[in-house]
Amino acid sequence: MAVGLKKLLLVVERDLRMFIQYKFLLIMRGIWFVSQVALFGLVVNRMVQESAAAVGINYFQYYVAGVTIITLYSTAMFIGYDIFEEAEHGVFEYLLTLPVSRRELVLGRSIGGGLRSFIYVGPLLVVVLFILGVSNPLYLLVALASMFLFAFGVSGMSITIAVVMKSGDKYDILIGVLDALIVRLSTTMYPVVYMQRATPAFAAIANFNPLTYVSDLFRWGTGVEGTLQFSPLTGVLALFTFFFAFTFVGVVFYERRLEGGSWQ
Amino acid sequence: MKAILHVIEYDFRNFFRYRWFIVGLIAMNLADLFISAVVFTQMASANLVANYFRFFAPGLAVVGLFASAFMIGREINMEVRREIHHYMLSLPMTRTELAIGRVVAGGLRGMLYMTPLLITNFIVLRFPTPPQLLLILLTLLLLAIGISGVSISIAVSTTSFEKFVTARGVVYYLLFFCSSVFYPLSIIQVLTTKGLGPLVTFAQINPLTNGSDMIRSFLLDSPDCVFSPLMLLNVAIFSGIFALLAIFAYSKILQRH
Repeated sequence: MAVGLKKLLLVVERDLRMFIQYKFLLIMRGIWFVSQVALFGLVVNRMVQESAAAVGINYFQYYVAGVTIITLYSTAMFIGYDIFEEAEHGVFEYLLTLPVSRRELVLGRSIGGGLRSFIYVGPLLVVVLFILGVSNPLYLLVALASMFLFAFGVSGMSITIAVVMKSGDKYDILIGVLDALIVRLSTTMYPVVYMQRATPAFAAIANFNPLTYVSDLFRWGTGVEGTLQFSPLTGVLALFTFFFAFTFVGVVFYERRLEGGSWQ
Repeated sequence: MKAILHVIEYDFRNFFRYRWFIVGLIAMNLADLFISAVVFTQMASANLVANYFRFFAPGLAVVGLFASAFMIGREINMEVRREIHHYMLSLPMTRTELAIGRVVAGGLRGMLYMTPLLITNFIVLRFPTPPQLLLILLTLLLLAIGISGVSISIAVSTTSFEKFVTARGVVYYLLFFCSSVFYPLSIIQVLTTKGLGPLVTFAQINPLTNGSDMIRSFLLDSPDCVFSPLMLLNVAIFSGIFALLAIFAYSKILQRH
């Protein structure tokens, strides 16, 4: 058991080391985050602040919290690109020669994918908490735990999609489309009350979107939103279901793909 | 000229091979218009933007033009990484002809993709007069060639796909957020109060601002959007600079390899 855990940690460590190698990408992602907050956030805040204030929201703070979750989501999705790179450059064969079982390898990658996105978002989170403040440390802990579940779930989802797709280009496109829909049909950028006014169908979809749960929990944890439209327990349970389903599915799919060189 | 046309034909054939990419782009653009813009219409203050959906529709045509004209860079980056340029160099044409063909093809592909979005604008807003239509098409063609130039310049300067994708994202957000594509120029003035005055100046000279405001000036009938010949001049200068830069950079990278 201890040996298995050690091997699992070695796989996680490898993914973390790989992530740190992408210095250029990480710096660029940081610039993206800053431009979202300092440009789009500030200007759109000016455009919508009256109506946001009418429903008791400071839109700039609302948006900053949402962008943090979008960043967490997009960096957790990054593990899929690694899997394609490894298939393209023949690293899969090397990985299979290691004294690590396939299950340890796959589970380690899923954990590594989620953990590294959380580590990346960590410094940004400190800045964001400085901007937003913390009203209740206990609420914040619940929010951070739900963000952990979300990051691991997204990492599993990314692995699942990457192993189902045969082409890196198609993966890139699908991720783009998924990103367009999953982000826009959530409360990361706007409150559900305005989605309801626009089209009730948008609000209905948003109510099942994991991004809605995690972004609302994060706002609740920092005090940006005083009340939630769902109970915190429901939110955490929804995110746990998302995490469990995709980690399990991702592990099964990845394990199967490793058989017989089907990644080639 | 014939050699350049062959290169353009080659790139157009490639464009239709990426039908999944086009489907993905369309989905993203439609999501922007029919989800985000519809919700923001409910949120935007009426005294700042009368109808956000109508305001954003011309911006969407520019978003589509940008995304599709930028695709040429993705292909060139892949060709450089996979050393397909050896084959390109074996073709009976000069490097300059090859480079010009690729820059122009990138722009024309952007125009082709953007056409349905522009027609959607005409249906949703109003149809322009023939001279207005010609001006819109000329401006957007110049804009597309300039964007294709930016894309090719980045593609030959980045050694991996990830770097290209990330650089594309940074260019996208800088050019779009500091422009009137998503919000009126009058609202961007808020950045001055936050010590970001240079970005406001950048937004005013940004070719995407001029491109989208020109379409609005003809389709929105709003006193806030009035056509000025400087809009066309601005886009023409942008296009000239980046088309030449891309031709130079592409020719050099082929030579170096």
